[in-house]
Amino acid sequence: MAIEINKELSGGLVEQRMVYESGNEMAAYAAHQINYHVMGYFPISPSTEVAQFLDLMKANGQHDIKLIPADGEHGSAGICYGASAAGGRVFNATSSNGYLYMLEQMPVQSGTRFPMVMNLVCRSVSGPLDIHGDHSDLYFALNTGWPILMCRDPQAVYDMNIIAIKLAEDPEVRLPVLVASDGYFTSHQKRRVQTFAHRADVHRFVGELPPSGFAHVLDRNNPITVGPYMNEPDYINNCYQQTMAMYRAGDVYDRIRQEYALLTGRDYPILDLYRMEDAEVAVFLMNSASEIIKDVVDQLREQGIKAGSIAPNMIRPFPQKEIAEALRGVKAVTIGDRADSYGGHGGNMTNEIKAALFTHGNAATKVISRIYGLGGKDFYAEDGHHFFRLAIDAAEKGYVEVPFDYYGHTAGDPDKAPKRVLEPLRFEDLKTGLITAERDETTGKLKVKVPPVRQLTKKPKRLAPGHGACPGCGIFSGLELFFKGIEGDIVALYQTGCAMVVTTGFPYSSHKATYIHNLFQNGAATLSGVVEMFWERKRRGELDGLGLREDFTFVMITGDGGMDIGMGPAIGSALRNHKMIILEYDNEGYMNTGAQLSYSTPLGHRTSTSNVGKHQGGKLFHHKDTAQIMAATNIPYVFTGSESVPQDLLRKAAKAQYYAQNEGLVYGKILITCPLNWLSEEKIGQTLIDDAVNACFFPLYEVEQGITNITHNPEEKGKRIPLADWLKNMGKTKHMTRPEYAEALKSFEDEVERRWQRLKAKHESPYL
Amino acid sequence: MAILPKTNELGFFEIRLESIGGLGANLAGKMLAEAGVVGSGFNGVSFSSYGSEKKGSPVKAHIRFCGLDVNIRDTTPVERPHIVGIFHENLSKTVNVISGIYEDSMVLVNSAKSPEVLKDKLNMLGGTLAVVDATGIALDENNRVNMAMLGALFRLCDFLDAEHMKGIIRKSLEKKYPQAVEPALRTFDRGYNEVRSQSFGLPDGAAMPLPTRWDIPALGWVTQPMGGMITNPGNSILKDLSISRQGMMPHFDDEKCIHCAACDTACPDFCFVWEEQPDKKGRPQMFLQGIDYQYCKGCLKCVVACPTEALVSERETDGYGDAKRVPHRFILAD
Repeated sequence: MAIEINKELSGGLVEQRMVYESGNEMAAYAAHQINYHVMGYFPISPSTEVAQFLDLMKANGQHDIKLIPADGEHGSAGICYGASAAGGRVFNATSSNGYLYMLEQMPVQSGTRFPMVMNLVCRSVSGPLDIHGDHSDLYFALNTGWPILMCRDPQAVYDMNIIAIKLAEDPEVRLPVLVASDGYFTSHQKRRVQTFAHRADVHRFVGELPPSGFAHVLDRNNPITVGPYMNEPDYINNCYQQTMAMYRAGDVYDRIRQEYALLTGRDYPILDLYRMEDAEVAVFLMNSASEIIKDVVDQLREQGIKAGSIAPNMIRPFPQKEIAEALRGVKAVTIGDRADSYGGHGGNMTNEIKAALFTHGNAATKVISRIYGLGGKDFYAEDGHHFFRLAIDAAEKGYVEVPFDYYGHTAGDPDKAPKRVLEPLRFEDLKTGLITAERDETTGKLKVKVPPVRQLTKKPKRLAPGHGACPGCGIFSGLELFFKGIEGDIVALYQTGCAMVVTTGFPYSSHKATYIHNLFQNGAATLSGVVEMFWERKRRGELDGLGLREDFTFVMITGDGGMDIGMGPAIGSALRNHKMIILEYDNEGYMNTGAQLSYSTPLGHRTSTSNVGKHQGGKLFHHKDTAQIMAATNIPYVFTGSESVPQDLLRKAAKAQYYAQNEGLVYGKILITCPLNWLSEEKIGQTLIDDAVNACFFPLYEVEQGITNITHNPEEKGKRIPLADWLKNMGKTKHMTRPEYAEALKSFEDEVERRWQRLKAKHESPYL
Repeated sequence: MAILPKTNELGFFEIRLESIGGLGANLAGKMLAEAGVVGSGFNGVSFSSYGSEKKGSPVKAHIRFCGLDVNIRDTTPVERPHIVGIFHENLSKTVNVISGIYEDSMVLVNSAKSPEVLKDKLNMLGGTLAVVDATGIALDENNRVNMAMLGALFRLCDFLDAEHMKGIIRKSLEKKYPQAVEPALRTFDRGYNEVRSQSFGLPDGAAMPLPTRWDIPALGWVTQPMGGMITNPGNSILKDLSISRQGMMPHFDDEKCIHCAACDTACPDFCFVWEEQPDKKGRPQMFLQGIDYQYCKGCLKCVVACPTEALVSERETDGYGDAKRVPHRFILAD
C-alpha cells in the first residue's frame, strides 16, 4: 500500500508526503506509524481492510504491532481491554453488528478508564442484513462514554487517528476514543492524503510511549485490583469522574488540534462551519455527506441565497455551545440524521441540537429533521438542495410544515408487488422412498440405503438456480448433494456468510422451502428455538391444519467463520441436544468479507489477514478440528463429507436425518472449494477436495453414538498422496512447496499425520 | 501538467467502468486513477461499487479527475461519464451501461463486433463508440481482459501517460511474476493499438437521455412485505446469469452421455435438466436433456467431472447459449 506521490511542501512545520489511499488504508497507515503494541480484531465489512492492510505491512516488516485475530468482536474487545489494562497502546477497528456485539465491553473500557483507539467504520445495523454505510452503529456509541471524533474523508481519517491516541492518553482524559468514518464512502474511496513523512515526527507528537504514571497490571511492585464489585453509593462517583473527564476531553481536543494544525497545516476545529458567518439557512450533516453539501452551499450562494453548512468534528462531548453559537441568526436549519432513533421524533443529532438551542435560549431558529441515506443510500447534491428548500420554506413561512420525516423512502409500484413465482415443493417429490435409514433390530445399528446419484436427479433441488455465487463455488454443489440425501420437508437456517448472502439478495431468494437467517454468532441458538417451538406447537395441535405430512428436518447451514464466532451457541445447542442438524461448509476462511483467516485455515495458508512476505509465511497456527470438538459434546452423530465421494455423503445425510428426527443434534462438516480465494482454477474444484481427502488432511469419517468409523480410507484404497500434491494447485498455498517454507510444510504434515493416526486409533477402538 | 480535455460544472472529468466481478475492472480502475493522480499529477478520487455481489455479478468502478485546485467533495457514483468502459458487451442485457452519457462521451466496449452493431445493441443515440476485442486479445496472449481494456482506455484518455503505466505494470509484476510481465505489456499494447472508434452524430431533434436515479427500487414501503420478508422465494429463477461467463462454456453431446449425473453433482448452479423416460428395458430412468444456459456461469466443473466426452469446454460464440438452452421445467405458480 501507500504509494508515495511526491514530497510536498508542508503547510506546517513537519515534513510531509502525499499518498493516494482510501480511508481504511489511512487508518492502517496511521496505526503503523504510531506502532501500537496490540490490535485485537475480527473481520466485518467495511472495516476489515484495516486489519488486512496492517497484516500486509507486517508481512513486509513495516511495523511490529501484535495482530490478534479474535473469535468474534466480543472477543476482540476483550483482547483490547486486557491489552490496554496491561499498559500498552491498543488499536481496533470494527463496524455495524460487530460493534454491537462488543457493545457491552465499551462502557467497561471507558468506566475503568483504560485509553485505546478504535475506528468505527460506520455501517448500518439492521435486521434484513445491510452492509452499507449509515450512522446507526455510531448512534449506539453515543452513550458508551468514549469521546468520538468524526472523519469526513480519508485525510481526516489519518489525522484523527493521530490526534485520537494523544487525546485518549492525556492525563486529563484517560478514556478510550472512537474515530468514526463513513463505510464505503470514506473507507473505500481513494484520495490524495498528506501524511507525516517520518515516524519519528509522529512519535514526537503522540509520545514514543504512553505517558507514565498510570497504574497497569504488569507492575509487580504496585499490585492493583481492576474492575471491583461496586454498587451504590460509590458507583455514581465513578460516573461523575468519567463525565468530568469526558467534558475535559473537549478542551483537551481543542488544544491538541491546534498543536496538530501548527505541525501539519490542517486544522479540525470542533465544528466545521462552511459559509456560516451570515447564513440565514443551514444544513447540518455528518461526515461524507457534510462535504457534498458544501458544493450545494456554493451553488445557492451564487443564486444569492445565504446558505451555510455545519458539520461536527467531534460529537462526544457534544459541542452544544458551539452549535448554539453557530445557529444564532440562522432562520432555519435542516438536520439530516443518517440513522433513526425510532420513536424519538428525530434522530439523535436533531434532538441534541434542539436541546442545544433550548439550553442557550434560542427559540427562533426553525428546525427541520430528516432521516436520510439509510443503509448506504447515496446522498446526491440534489438531495442537499432538497434539504435547503425545506429550510428556506420554513424561514419564509415562519413555521415548519413537517418537523420530522424520512427523506428518500419510496412507496413502490403496486403492479410490481411480489407474487409467488414457484409452487411450493410437493411433498411426494421430496419423499422419494429411494433413501431409507432404519435401525436393525438384531445388531442395533442403523441400516442405510441410498441409490446412485442418477436416480436422485428426479428429486427437486431445494435451492433454485439464479443465486449469485462465484463461478465454481463449492458451497452449492456440496449443500445440494447433502440435501439429496434428506427426504421430506426441511426448514433451513443459514448463518451469515456467502451462502446466505448470495441466495437472498432482496427481493430475490433462491430458497424454495422456508429459510431463516440470523447473525452468525447465534444461528444454532436460533434454530434450537425454532425446533422447540415446532415440537411444542405440534404437541398443542396447532400445526394440524398446515398440510404437514411428516416432521420437518431442521438444518442449520454455516461456514467455518460461523463456527468460530458461533462456537459457543453451537456447543450450547449440542449439549442441549435439540433435534436438528448443523452442517458446516468449510472453505478455510472468511470468504464473504474478503478472505480473512478463520481458525479452520490451515498453517501457512495465505489469506488477507495471514499474508506471505519476508517477515511472515501465511497463517501462524494450525487449523481447528471442529468435528472433534463437536464430537466431544457426545451428540448422537458427527460426520465429515465431501462432494468428491458422493455416495459416502449421501449415506451420512440419511443417517443425519434419522438422528436429527429421532435422537438429537447432528453436526457435519463438508470441505468445499472457494476458487476465488484459494486462487485456484474453477473447474478443478472437485479434484482439489478429493486431493484434500486423499492427503488425509480431510479424512472422511463419522462418530456414531460415540463410535468412530473411518468411511473412506485413502491408505487402504492405495490413494494416499503427499500434502504437497494438494497444496501445489492452489495459489494460496503454492509458496509452501518452496524450500524456504519447508519448516512450515513439515509442521503442517506432522499435524495432519498426528490427527490421522489418532483418528485411526479411534477407528480401531470403540472406547476412544 | 497535462490538461483535462473537458470537465463538468464542478471541474471533473469522469469515467465509469461497467463490468462483472472477476474481469478486473476494479483493478483497472485503480490503475487508471493512480496513473492520473500519481503519474500525471491530477487530483482525483476513485472507488468501486461494493456489495455482497460475488465474482460474475455486475460491478462498477468510478473515477473522477480534476485540477489540484478543485475540492473533491462528491462521493456519489459517476452519473454523467465522459468515458464509459464496458468490460463485457452482454452487460447491456441487464444494466443500462451507457446511462447519463453526453453527446460527446466516449463508450469503449470489449467486443468483436463493429461499432454500428454495438450502437444498436446499446441503444446509443449519439456519441463515440470505441471497440476492442479485449477477450480475444486476452485469450491469445494468455493474459487478462483488464490489461487489454486498460490499454484501450489509455488510448482514449490521451491526457494520461501510457509509458508511465507500462512502467507500473512492469514494476508491480516483475518481482513476483517475472514471466507475466511481457504478456501483460503485450496485452496492454494490443489493447492500445487495436481499439477502433467511430463517432455518431445525434439525429436532428433528438436529445441525449438524462440519467435517471438508479436508487428507486421496484418495491417500496407500501408494497414491501413487513420485516424484509421474501414471500415469493425461489424467484431467483427469474435471473439471467449468462453474463457471468467469461468466454468459455460447456457444450453437451447427447450421443456421448452415459447419464451418470456426475455433472449434476458438480454443478454449483443447477443447470442440468433431467427427464424421466423408459430405459432400454422399459423401466423408468433419468436422462440428461441438456443445459439451462441461463444459469451457467461457465466454471466448467462439469467438464472435469464428466467421465466421457459428453461435456467439453468451448469458446462461447454469440447466440450459442440461447439457441442450445434447455430450459428447466419449474412448477410455476399461476
